Amino acid sequence: MDWANTPLNTVLGWYFLAFSRAPNLGLVVISILTGVGMLVVLQKVSDPVRIRLAKRRVQAHLLELRMFQDEPRVIWGAQKALLAANARYMGLMLRPALWMTVPLFLLMIRMEAVYGRSPLPVGQEAVVTMSMRTGFAADSPRLSLTSIAGIAVETPPVRAVALRQVSWRIRPQATVSGELGLNVGNTTVKKRIEAGGPQRFVPGLRTGSRWATLWHPDEPRIDAPDVDWIDIDYPGASVTMLGMHAQWLIWFLAISMLSALALKKRFGVVL
Amino acid sequence: MRLTALLATCLLAGACSGHKVQSAGRRMIVLGVDGMDPVFLENHWDSLPNLNKLRQSGSFQRLATTVPPQSPVAWSSVITGMDPGGHGIFDFVHRTPATRMPISSMAETMPPKRTLNIGSYAVPLEAGAVRTTRAGTTFWRVLSDHGIPTQVIRMPVNYPPEIGEWESLSGMGTPDMEGSSGTFNFFTDDPAEKRTTIDGGRINRVAVDGGLALLRIRGPQNSLRRDQAVTYAQLTAYVDPSAAAIRLDGSGREILLRQGEWSDWVPLEFPLIPGIQKVYGMVRVYVQHVHPYLRIYVSPVNIDPENPALPISSPASYSGALAKDLGRFYTQGIAEDTAAYRAGIFNRAEFLEQSHKILNDSLRMYRQELARFSDGLFFYYFSSVDQNAHMLWGKHDDELLEVYRAIDGAIGEAMAKAGTDTTLMVLSDHGFARFDRAVHLNAWLREQGFLTLDDPANAGDEELFTHVNWSHTQAYGLGLNGLYLNLEFREPGGIVTIPEKQVVLDEIAKRLLEFRDPATGEKVVSKVYFPETAFQGRNLQNSPDLFVGYRRGYRASWQTTLGAVPKTLIEDNTAAWIADHCMASDEVPGVLLSNRKVRAAQPQLYDIPVTILSEFGIARQEGMIGQTVF
Repeated sequence: MDWANTPLNTVLGWYFLAFSRAPNLGLVVISILTGVGMLVVLQKVSDPVRIRLAKRRVQAHLLELRMFQDEPRVIWGAQKALLAANARYMGLMLRPALWMTVPLFLLMIRMEAVYGRSPLPVGQEAVVTMSMRTGFAADSPRLSLTSIAGIAVETPPVRAVALRQVSWRIRPQATVSGELGLNVGNTTVKKRIEAGGPQRFVPGLRTGSRWATLWHPDEPRIDAPDVDWIDIDYPGASVTMLGMHAQWLIWFLAISMLSALALKKRFGVVL
Repeated sequence: MRLTALLATCLLAGACSGHKVQSAGRRMIVLGVDGMDPVFLENHWDSLPNLNKLRQSGSFQRLATTVPPQSPVAWSSVITGMDPGGHGIFDFVHRTPATRMPISSMAETMPPKRTLNIGSYAVPLEAGAVRTTRAGTTFWRVLSDHGIPTQVIRMPVNYPPEIGEWESLSGMGTPDMEGSSGTFNFFTDDPAEKRTTIDGGRINRVAVDGGLALLRIRGPQNSLRRDQAVTYAQLTAYVDPSAAAIRLDGSGREILLRQGEWSDWVPLEFPLIPGIQKVYGMVRVYVQHVHPYLRIYVSPVNIDPENPALPISSPASYSGALAKDLGRFYTQGIAEDTAAYRAGIFNRAEFLEQSHKILNDSLRMYRQELARFSDGLFFYYFSSVDQNAHMLWGKHDDELLEVYRAIDGAIGEAMAKAGTDTTLMVLSDHGFARFDRAVHLNAWLREQGFLTLDDPANAGDEELFTHVNWSHTQAYGLGLNGLYLNLEFREPGGIVTIPEKQVVLDEIAKRLLEFRDPATGEKVVSKVYFPETAFQGRNLQNSPDLFVGYRRGYRASWQTTLGAVPKTLIEDNTAAWIADHCMASDEVPGVLLSNRKVRAAQPQLYDIPVTILSEFGIARQEGMIGQTVF
């Protein structure tokens, strides 16, 4: 999947670079653009007439519920009809939702690297784990970690035989952006590491599986037969806007929804 | 007209007792250093520059401790301005007269009275409660009522913390998640380790299978289940085949530890209703050995300050705010694991390392909160001198001096903060002495004919008076200084009548004062105290009938504290716990230092809160018996 990931990563990389001094502004802009994108999809693939009709039916049955509170049979019928009208409305929205799923998924898993993970805090320990495709045996290749300046390696490789994983404890001593070298015999696999400094692109798990690169797209696929994946336990990040802390996804969904609602008339879209 | 005048008077009185006027701009720092000893200070002034400076520029005096000189008793006097007869705390343990069984003296838990049973669960329809058993008004409530900002951090016998308009964090008496004062877990596959339970801990056998061992950590009883089943959390240990290191997985985290390393706090979750309700705790893990046998120490499960399962601070959010700033910290009342050292799980170096971690934890919190302090009262309590003195006093004084030095540094910071316009007081609740000989008080009572066993052959270390024949027993010892009569109408089947009570007590007291160590011929007891004469207060329902004031070097044996009747009267104390203070009160006074001149000739612990109130222009409150020391 590297053929698909690379251009997408490049484009979004430029975007995030452009907002590297104001990442929150970048989040707002991309959220608004996403809201606009959703409206475009709705404009193209939804049926506004039928959606409007379904909405009116929902409103009518709600009104029925309020007006005939003393008529149990009417209320019962109105509730059934309300459920049906709601289901119809949801069904009409399903098609545009399906159209939006793939691009949103591709966008959101990339945004996680920018807004969802923090660089490793300087001075605090972290763990680097490498998962192997085969177990550990007496003749298994030697495992080691080649670090970079600013990252101390505090333990020897600790093997969890039952999991086929090997881990190292590291401790950033300075603000660092670089690559660790994980050595399996004569093969070295690189893993990008970010520590200290401002919020920025922090790549997550690096995988050796072709399919898994779809949801772990931050770094190229590992090209080493023995290695399944490599991960660093980065702390989660939150985004602070208007004095409130929340995960980026909350801000993203809120802003994109609000912008879609605000602009729906311009696009002739019914929601 | 008279009614109007009365109303006007009441309003005026209300306005004048109001409160904020008196406090404006006054500041006071009070540091409580448990177990700081006057003689140790006098022998080490050169090594303790800040304490020495405080002594020279202000005051240094012995501070009379309570009867008995035990921390919960003494700090309760500091809190309330009462003697034990007022606040009603007489020992670490009290006893229930109906059963003669020991209970915690400091707090009691009351489960909800009404529950709804659904299958195996019992859903509470009202809240349960944890209640302090200490009577009296806390000095910080009085200060707060007068509008004075107050911070009281880690004060002993303040669990559960009183809630009000102040910041406080509970100290000694705060339980672990099991509800005990601290129960560690030790996991091993070492065949040489045969024990399963030890005082203050539990030894768990683990199987290391394919490099994997499951560490099942006991949590609280499930209060939502009808059977109150114990909850557990699990850590998975992956043991490297050759390196002396392990990986620990739990609560979604991965931790790597080499042999000899301590983990940071590891959060744990204990499920009450799977998927719906859980409580949070935290442990620190120490990897003692990896090969050939795994030996892992897991600390008592501390209440997580970020999500406290039990109340530990006022306001409730204060512990979380501290944890946000400082990271997680020890919440257990007495966190130094002397039990692991006494049981031989820790060697001295390991105990000291753990103890230093606690001290460092405490100093971090102290520095942050001292820096925040700007007005009113700041109180901070240090446990490290006391807990280290128990294990080092008289034998490893250099190591103990290091702890004193750390506290001296903290006092220096307070002196700098205080400057010339803030009153600073440093006090301890008692001093220290060697604990060379362990006195089996119940064995002595038996020898003197005051206590009878069902069969003399049953004399031994079995606790809780298992073999005592109560129909022929007049008195029994429980706790560290307490002696109780088997009194009619109070103890079931009690044989000492009310008219006989004082006669029997006088006889016991006389013989105790004549009691000599069979091995050395030395006197064992220097004083005995009767509550009616020792205390001004009359809140005596939990009081022993007599307090035994041992001479320096002697103390009640561990067996005595929980009601065992061993064969011998006195034996050498060979345990790692080599020093103590549960003796006659005048043998182990505490200290009082201040940057102001102390005028009281013989200051008492119950003078401290009166002094604090006086500094803010507040009169002594009803029930308080002390005087200002200035």
